[in-house]
Amino acid sequence: MIDLSQVRKEFEGKRRVVALDTVDLSIAKGEMVSIVGASGSGKSTMLNLIGGLDRPSSGEIRIEGVALGSLPDDELTRLRRDKIGFIFQFFNLLPTLTSLENVSLPLHLRGWPRKQIDARARELLDLVGLSHRLEHQPDELSGGERQRVAIARALSVYPPVLLADEPTGNLDSKTGVEILNLIHDLHGRLGATVLIVTHDPNVAASCERNITIRDGRIQADVRREALRR
Amino acid sequence: MILLKLISWQYVRKHLLRTALTVAGIVIGVAVFVGMHTANQSVLFAFNQTINQIAGATQIQITAGEPGFDEEILEKVQGVPGVRVAVPVIEATAATNLPGQGNLLVLGVDMTGDRSLRSYDLEGADDDVIDDPLIFLAQPDSLIVTRRFAEANNLRINSSIPMDTMAGRVRFTVRGIMKDSGLASAFGGNLAIMDIYAAQKMFGRGRKFDRVDVGVQEAESVPEVQARIEKALGEGFAVEPPSSRGQQFENTAQIYTLASAITSLFALFIGMFIIYNTFAIAVTQRRGEIGILRALGATRGQIRTLFLGESAVLGLLGSAAGVLAGIGIARVMAGYIGNLLGEVYGIAQRAGELSLNPRLLGFAMLIGALTSVAAALLPARTAAATDPVKALHKGGAELITERENRMRRLAALISITGAILCLWFSQHRILFYAGYMLAVIAALLMTPTFSLWISKLFRPFLKAFRPVEGTLAADSLIQAPRRTSGTVAALMLSLALVVSLSGLARASYGSITQWMNIALNPDLFVSTSESITARSFVFPAEIGDDLKKLDGIDVVQMVRSVRVLVPSRKGGGSVPVMLVGADIDRIAERARLPVIAGDANTMYQVAGAGNGVVVSDNFALLHGYRLGDGIEIPSPSGVLRLPVTGIVIDYSDQQGSILMSRRLFSEKWNDSSVNVFRIYLKPGASDTAVRQAILDRFGSERRLFVFTNRELRDYVLKLTDQWFGLTYVQIAVAVLVAILGIVNSLTVSITDRRRELGVIQAVGGLRKQIRHTIWMEAAAIGVLGLILGLALGAAQLYYTLEIAERDLAGLRLNYEYPVGMALALLPVILSAAFLAALGPAESAVRGSLVEALEYE
Repeated sequence: MIDLSQVRKEFEGKRRVVALDTVDLSIAKGEMVSIVGASGSGKSTMLNLIGGLDRPSSGEIRIEGVALGSLPDDELTRLRRDKIGFIFQFFNLLPTLTSLENVSLPLHLRGWPRKQIDARARELLDLVGLSHRLEHQPDELSGGERQRVAIARALSVYPPVLLADEPTGNLDSKTGVEILNLIHDLHGRLGATVLIVTHDPNVAASCERNITIRDGRIQADVRREALRR
Repeated sequence: MILLKLISWQYVRKHLLRTALTVAGIVIGVAVFVGMHTANQSVLFAFNQTINQIAGATQIQITAGEPGFDEEILEKVQGVPGVRVAVPVIEATAATNLPGQGNLLVLGVDMTGDRSLRSYDLEGADDDVIDDPLIFLAQPDSLIVTRRFAEANNLRINSSIPMDTMAGRVRFTVRGIMKDSGLASAFGGNLAIMDIYAAQKMFGRGRKFDRVDVGVQEAESVPEVQARIEKALGEGFAVEPPSSRGQQFENTAQIYTLASAITSLFALFIGMFIIYNTFAIAVTQRRGEIGILRALGATRGQIRTLFLGESAVLGLLGSAAGVLAGIGIARVMAGYIGNLLGEVYGIAQRAGELSLNPRLLGFAMLIGALTSVAAALLPARTAAATDPVKALHKGGAELITERENRMRRLAALISITGAILCLWFSQHRILFYAGYMLAVIAALLMTPTFSLWISKLFRPFLKAFRPVEGTLAADSLIQAPRRTSGTVAALMLSLALVVSLSGLARASYGSITQWMNIALNPDLFVSTSESITARSFVFPAEIGDDLKKLDGIDVVQMVRSVRVLVPSRKGGGSVPVMLVGADIDRIAERARLPVIAGDANTMYQVAGAGNGVVVSDNFALLHGYRLGDGIEIPSPSGVLRLPVTGIVIDYSDQQGSILMSRRLFSEKWNDSSVNVFRIYLKPGASDTAVRQAILDRFGSERRLFVFTNRELRDYVLKLTDQWFGLTYVQIAVAVLVAILGIVNSLTVSITDRRRELGVIQAVGGLRKQIRHTIWMEAAAIGVLGLILGLALGAAQLYYTLEIAERDLAGLRLNYEYPVGMALALLPVILSAAFLAALGPAESAVRGSLVEALEYE
């Protein structure tokens, strides 16, 4: 499903920083994987590269067999919009749009018919338990509700890959647990491949596979029984 | 100072484009200001310089308006005690007939006495020519030219120059070439000297002189001799130092000067809004930085000084660049203005080189810097008032607070109420102008509110058009009114000026066409010059009788128009107006000008009998005359005091015209000459055939131009077109303002929305979709400016027409909104907006997506 081969990412500045150092990784379809590591270890960089938000300095990344490196920008965007859903730590909802509009956004960008978009957006908000908050703008929602809207947006076309960068990092622990449960629930129901970057050991422990990164390299890659609470 | 270096300089370095845009705002304002003024000044300076160079050692000049006076006046002046020397002069311009040389200023002088006032610095042995004036005099075709003119046209001693005179084409012979200094540099070197009697013949002056130049004896005081001459000649003569002629030219061209001053000040005012916009945005964006500085102990005063210091430095930089750009503009415009003033007022001048006035340039630098500081005052105050705790928290800074909005609306309400009240008392000049200012202030105060309302109205339409891109573009405007309102305000002001100028032009065309239909209804016009406004040459009246004998001609009307000075009842002093000597009762039979005051049946009879004058409406309005008022008109036979027997609509002259009986004019000025013959044809006669007949009969022996009715109308409309050339300057300024302002707003918008744009790309937005949202935002800003500008333009047009009537031209113009221009502005401004959005849109799609998503 997701294959990284000899992937290296360097940042050029006053001094060169190696964020990922020749990483090889393979993630199978339907896996739920956590990526942990200290700040600056390279975990978010890895997520950005897999999501096609950034390009590696060398090496190759494939999503469902498609090599991202050779894709022009707009093709990469199309792949992102059809195959990948993003969940961010700071939600990244557009502040002027309602929940319904935020969830509709990727569908509009795909050029879906309006009726279909409306039906899908309502269905998704219902899925994340927010059918009563359709016309609310982000600043009228709680942190947990905002993240639910963001999750609904990420699921807009039920993408095969879901990438989450610290999805609970900006939430209190109770809400964090609720969001994590939602992600698990959706993973179970939709069968998507889920990658979660996290600092939180509880989040990491809840995943079937746990990858630890240190100084840009994979230090550990442990598979375990999924812990459901 | 250290804060400027540590904080401002770093900010400037990081935001080079935005800094450049701010500076560009000042550059535009200062450049238009300097360009217009320098071009005007260069033309006036050239005129004054020519006067001074021609005056030589002349201390007093005696004139009696354009018609001049009889030769015996010279003897009277020579007889006045204290006069050292008094010499006659004829000064007129004539076409050279040489390619690329335009007009030649011909000075007719009496060589026997003239050298004691003017130095003819001739080359080599040529001095013989004037050392013995008899040689010069004995050959009436003698001409002295300048070296510059001779070199430009390959002329040498004894070369001949063909010139059209009132006695047909005459070949003049170059008998002397002047060195390029002093007198020879007058009129840009296009100067020729000929004997005064040859000049009388050439220009059809009869036995008259234009002027007498006087030198005073050493022991005498100039004012005393001046007073003695005045006494000896009696009323009707102007006895003045040469410098006062420059003042007359300035008075004549004052409408133009005023109109261009208004445009240039507007440009500066608009530049101020671009600067205000940038600083207002900068304060919003640098709130965090201000918060840190305040937390570290910077006082409010230091923060205020920091922003004002920045604005002063940028203002000075922009002013310096604006001065340079303005000099470039002036170079292009000086020739244009020179031609325009020459054609409209019939006063020839030649702005060879720019007159750079250090005081004006210094003033422009100062005004540029002050404008910049004034524009930054409010943002600096806001910055100084920033609460450090709130400033260190992110978000919420961009919104205009409800309190601020309320205050604005309240101030706008007060202003608009004041403007309406002023309308009721608008007969008082000061209240009228105060009302105008208040109306503009109210519009400016309401700009953010109107922008917000209109943006909210736009949202559903934009959303329906493009659900993502349209919605985001509208939301960007709604969320950040501070970001766009300065740009919208600048655009609004600029477009309002375009609307009002073009409305004024349209109304003027309408009125002028109406007037032409009535006043200019003869079939043919016979003039001494290809430019109907030039009055250097005149016809003897006898030609009128000869014309009447030609087949096909029914009626010939003779018109003599001269510029004279009459007292103004409004502003005091004397004003140059056009005196038209004609058979007005007969003209009125064929061309009945619309009457404003007086009895249409009797006014022409009374005036025709020489017992009064009919004046134009613009004369009455501009100079404060009413029906029955007496006008004092100076003539060589003394001052005429005649009552106004009627006021009619007549646009023959911008300063106003006085129609007088031709018989009275001939008697008092001892001048029966004619500028223009108005010819009506018999039924069935062809205008082209009669024109040919006139040319065949007189062409070989007379300098003469025949215009058909259509040609004359086209000529008048061409002049009007040139006059309204200012409208095009203003459209150019509006487009520049639109581009600058929109680039500025979009650059900031993209920075502010970097994360939002990143999110759209992250969730699948293609580059073209990002570009679309930026373009739509730009288009929306353009349309906002257009809507408000076209609306304010409607009010501004009312005020402009009123100003044109009261203070500028005395024209009663109908209010008609220039719909065509308004429609034409839509594509112009949308194209400008699109152009402005290209760069920002590219920068929006080129950045790093990861950085955009992490951007705070």
